[in-house]
Amino acid sequence: MLSKLKSFGLEGIDGFLVEIETDIVGGVPHFEIVGLGDKSVKEAKDRVKSAIRNSGFEYPLKHFTINLAPADVKKEGPIYDLGIAVGILSASEQIKKKNYKDYIFLGELSLDGTIKKVRGVLPMLISARSQGYRRVIIPKENMEEASFIDNIEIYAFSKLTEVVEFLDGLTEENFRVQTKSFEEVALKSVNKLDFENVKGQKMAKRALEIAAAGGHNVLMIGPPGSGKSMLAKCFSGILPNLTFEEALEVTKIHSIAGELDLKQGIITERPFRTPHHTATAISLTGGGVHSKPGEISLAHHGVLFLDEFPEYSRHLIETLRQPLEDGYITVARAQQTITYPASFTLIASMNPCPCGNYGSKDRECTCSPTQIHKYLSKLSGPIMDRIDIHVEVDNITYKELNEENKEEPTAKIKERVDKAREIQLERFKGSKIFNNAKMTVPQTKKYCKLSKECQDLMENAFTNLKLSARAHDRILKVARTIADLDGKEEIEPNHIAEAISYRGLDRKYWSV
Amino acid sequence: MNNNTKILTFLSMLELSNKKLEKIMEIVEDEEIESPLELADNRNVCEILSADEYHELLKKSDARLVNSLFENLEKDGIIILNKESENYPQALVDLPDAPMLLFCKGDVSLLNQDAISIVGTRMPTNYGKFITEKFAEVLAKAGIVIVSGLAYGVDSLSHRKALEVNGKTIAVLGGGFNHIYPESNTNLANTIAEKGLLISEYPPFAKPTKYTFPRRNRIIAGLSKGVLITEAGRKSGTIHTKEFALDYGRDLFAVPGNVNSSKSELPNLLIKSAQAECVLSGEDILEFYGINISKAEEKKIVSLNMDEQIIINLLKKGEQDFDYLAKNSNLPVNILNSYLTTLEIRGLIKRMPNKTFMLN
Repeated sequence: MLSKLKSFGLEGIDGFLVEIETDIVGGVPHFEIVGLGDKSVKEAKDRVKSAIRNSGFEYPLKHFTINLAPADVKKEGPIYDLGIAVGILSASEQIKKKNYKDYIFLGELSLDGTIKKVRGVLPMLISARSQGYRRVIIPKENMEEASFIDNIEIYAFSKLTEVVEFLDGLTEENFRVQTKSFEEVALKSVNKLDFENVKGQKMAKRALEIAAAGGHNVLMIGPPGSGKSMLAKCFSGILPNLTFEEALEVTKIHSIAGELDLKQGIITERPFRTPHHTATAISLTGGGVHSKPGEISLAHHGVLFLDEFPEYSRHLIETLRQPLEDGYITVARAQQTITYPASFTLIASMNPCPCGNYGSKDRECTCSPTQIHKYLSKLSGPIMDRIDIHVEVDNITYKELNEENKEEPTAKIKERVDKAREIQLERFKGSKIFNNAKMTVPQTKKYCKLSKECQDLMENAFTNLKLSARAHDRILKVARTIADLDGKEEIEPNHIAEAISYRGLDRKYWSV
Repeated sequence: MNNNTKILTFLSMLELSNKKLEKIMEIVEDEEIESPLELADNRNVCEILSADEYHELLKKSDARLVNSLFENLEKDGIIILNKESENYPQALVDLPDAPMLLFCKGDVSLLNQDAISIVGTRMPTNYGKFITEKFAEVLAKAGIVIVSGLAYGVDSLSHRKALEVNGKTIAVLGGGFNHIYPESNTNLANTIAEKGLLISEYPPFAKPTKYTFPRRNRIIAGLSKGVLITEAGRKSGTIHTKEFALDYGRDLFAVPGNVNSSKSELPNLLIKSAQAECVLSGEDILEFYGINISKAEEKKIVSLNMDEQIIINLLKKGEQDFDYLAKNSNLPVNILNSYLTTLEIRGLIKRMPNKTFMLN
């Protein structure tokens, strides 16, 4: 007997249809899976065998051939277990009805017949819906992430026997997943860290506000313990809320990486990723044997925080160049070339010198000039070209820490950021970009026109403050954002002046 | 290039002591040796040298090698002075261990002008940077040649400031011209060669070593009328320069600093022990030498608005950090930030690492 049913596979962040064909013929008992499956696909035969037996069905002692079509695309993971089991049961006529053909089967089987969670359910559901498939069977554990997809019937099961009973129409139970509204869930989420709790650091807070408003990348410079990480963590709170489309995209990536919080289902907060500086290039960019999105893709629509920036290997820092520019990363490997989205705000932090005390008022720096020089020279020109804002963060005193005066809460800053973002959305309507940081050279020219007064100021700044040429466009973009925050149509001199103050590293006032 | 210079330049490849060089030069004078290649054949010369040195001499006595040495020197525009040369600094001639040769790149006339050396730590504090630049500016503007050693910190700051105000500066290297140390100051060295003077007692191919830096300090001290120490620790290399200055009878100036700052230890100690003259501004040094201070530069009348005045007043109490200014000026952060930038562009205040600001 031959049976054919459908399942899905993943390529990058998109799903594709996989047909599971099961053929049972007489002869020496044998089990073969063909169709370019990886090790975990091959191992399905033992899992399926036990799962069928332990669910109370008969495992026929015959010659099986299972084909996963299309046969020339690589298939990964235990996702086809359920499909193969159902295929065998129907080919051996233990499932009576033929309606299994209407469903897509996703799920891993345990030896006792329970259906276990798999990665990438959400992107496969989205692809299935857009390709016109109507019914999907998924593991119950993946139910939450699926519950935001409408216009498709999703059924969640926890046991193989349930699936068989359901297909044969022997059960009254309702396995259909109820759709939830995104807004409902999004409202519930609360960002735990609030700017209210960060004392002092006025300059850094202002810089982060500008960064959030214009989508600029930030480099924070300050001694250890000055609160750089805390500031960065608060930062994602002042970014505009994720829209449903963005949330789906983020959840998709996390689902593929297997990093989804299964209880919550959809991701409603902007991601905040902090890879360690010993991370490998692949863990950052994605790819690898079981192609998974890397840290920069997991930070998509959110924040990538690189603490101790100069400690990252040169090679690692340079791999950030393409995604910072284009918003995606293309990973080329011998087997395949995959593109993952990677549009994030980079927040990097560094010490002013290896020991961290250079320029400090009360602690002495123990580094030699050569050490400091080497440390600073790790930041290559091209990468600095992609960081618009440099801001210094300093230790605060015990007195400041215990002061009673109220700091501005995140919600208030966010209001201003949202307003500035609206202005930008209006400005860039019809173009491919959404914020000031992504402006191209002609766009910068068009939207950052300077009055005579501003031009004079710029010129004076360049000659008197020894700014490097690469600072010019950065200053314009940041000034544009500051003007947007101010609600001004034209860039004014004080906007330019403030923007200039965020170019510390170009100024070399702290090189030795 | 006269004959003696040629022979000395050739001998510089052997790294001989000054004593041996002097002996050889006596023989050269007496026996009228005319070419460096004749040295190896001279019995008297050979007697002075150790076996290893003689071996080196034989190796180097190759017409092709000698020619390329001189060609390269000429190509790089290097001027070589010996004690008889016209431009050889008078200040050095009488010193007991005066360099036999000076390799120069740039304006050699600077060697016989009034000079002050500015020396100090390679890692100055904000205060140290500030005073070093201030002193260098005043002195350079008064036409004094600023001498220093092209190291990080105080040295570089002095050279840079002198160049910035179109003053004159001499950098004394601890190695040959082909081995600028620290390497990152190569650009600075090139600018000094162009607009000032770069000198070294070592031939271009000589690498600097641990011992050559203290040696070059004697030239820094010797070249100048006075040595100014702005900031230096108790165990700083600046001590060598100070010792040489005292040995050679040069004037010593020191700028006082905080008692608890390790970088001000040496100048403070020198003032306490009355070894150095305590100076508070570049004008004090000029006054010491009776140089008329041209009051040509009037204080520009600056117009400040209310807020800017508040900021300036806050900074009059000393360097302050951004958060302090924000709290005490009651200005919103963005406005304060833009004022600070404009004030800095106007040259009224100075921005230091760690978001600290001070009056200029």
